Amino acid sequence: MVQLASGTSVSERLQPAKPALSWVTTAARVVLAGVLIVAGALKIGAPALSVQAVRAYQLLPDSVAQVVGYGLPVLEIITGLLLLVGLFTRAAAVAGGVLMVAFVIGIASAWARGLRIDCGCFGGDGTLAAGQDPNYFWELLRDFGLLVCAAWVVVRPASRFSLDSALGFTGERETTDEDGSDDGEDDGA
Amino acid sequence: MSKRTSEAARARIAAQREALRKQEQRKRITMIVTIAVVVVIAAAFAAWSMRQGASEKVAGGLAPVTVQEDGTVVMAKSGVTAPVVDVFEDFQCPACKQFEETSGSTLKNLAAEGKAKVVYHPITIFGQEPTKGNSLRAASAARCVTDGQQWLAYHDKLYKNQPSETVTGFTIDELIKWGKEAGVTATDFDNCVREQRNVAAHQQFSEKTMSTQKLTGTPTVKLNGKDLDTNVAFVPNSLRDAVESAGK
Repeated sequence: MVQLASGTSVSERLQPAKPALSWVTTAARVVLAGVLIVAGALKIGAPALSVQAVRAYQLLPDSVAQVVGYGLPVLEIITGLLLLVGLFTRAAAVAGGVLMVAFVIGIASAWARGLRIDCGCFGGDGTLAAGQDPNYFWELLRDFGLLVCAAWVVVRPASRFSLDSALGFTGERETTDEDGSDDGEDDGA
Repeated sequence: MSKRTSEAARARIAAQREALRKQEQRKRITMIVTIAVVVVIAAAFAAWSMRQGASEKVAGGLAPVTVQEDGTVVMAKSGVTAPVVDVFEDFQCPACKQFEETSGSTLKNLAAEGKAKVVYHPITIFGQEPTKGNSLRAASAARCVTDGQQWLAYHDKLYKNQPSETVTGFTIDELIKWGKEAGVTATDFDNCVREQRNVAAHQQFSEKTMSTQKLTGTPTVKLNGKDLDTNVAFVPNSLRDAVESAGK
């Protein structure tokens, strides 16, 4: 009767296992969401600047830079909103993490190539004002920290104050695992 | 194990599976709803963003353009003296090219509508090669153009052909060729460009402009002497609104 011992009630099992850790996820979610929403909101109204900031990295062909310049703020805001309300948390955190990896690569490559640009993360056209120095180290540290937040949420997507838990699904892995164990029970029965 | 417990266990399993199935269903519905909402929101954001980035078309003719003694160029209908839009730009600066592509037509239209006096101040902000040389050659060549309309055509041509910041560009031969293509008729244009006659005057003008105007970069756009935020300057409809309300 392993199945009885392991699964008393479905709803109980879907609750986050460790309350303290689920609060950490909430915090990671909100921090990542806040930065993404602010970054997107500051750029979305002036797409010409956003495109120029992408071009400043001299990494992407012009047509792609155009698409990224327009699309990135939208993507940031949508990802941020999903993280903020905690809906499809894991998928949103994966998207946020991919963005952070892309930013880290972009900034690191600008640094390595000796470019003198502003990351354009929160608006602007990517040029430094006269007498201003690039801030690559802190920009990288910030994005790396946000990447850690995203990774944490991907690993432990169950969290407090999330639509996922309000709706009874706390991240896909838990659900899949349960499906898997149920199948196992079937075979045993 | 009694038959009864086993039946009870089966019933529980069935209930459990039913609950899981319901949850899966709810999840699917939420997923579909979320995707629909996300698509709608993203489309709305994208549409708004496109409008913010959309450039005007140059509607009709241009306002009269006159090349000034000091190297600035004024575009305004006769009698229009305000509001003044000052554009401080460098032919080699990529953001200036972007500004020109995005908002250049708005400035031309505003001047043609008699709603603004637009003053171009071509300067050189670069201190290192190859950008410095590129910028100096281009700007001093532009000074060889004496007719205003031709100057503006040449100005647009230079931005269209702006070289990368990492290579030597704006070569003398190119600058002469583009002058011909832009319809420059100034006598002695070729020699003026080839001898780079105006480099010293342009450099002097640049330094003076940068210090008196306290420029921190290009493009800097000023409306009645006050810096316009890039979030306004690079958004054609915001730029138009700002200039129009300054003229009221």
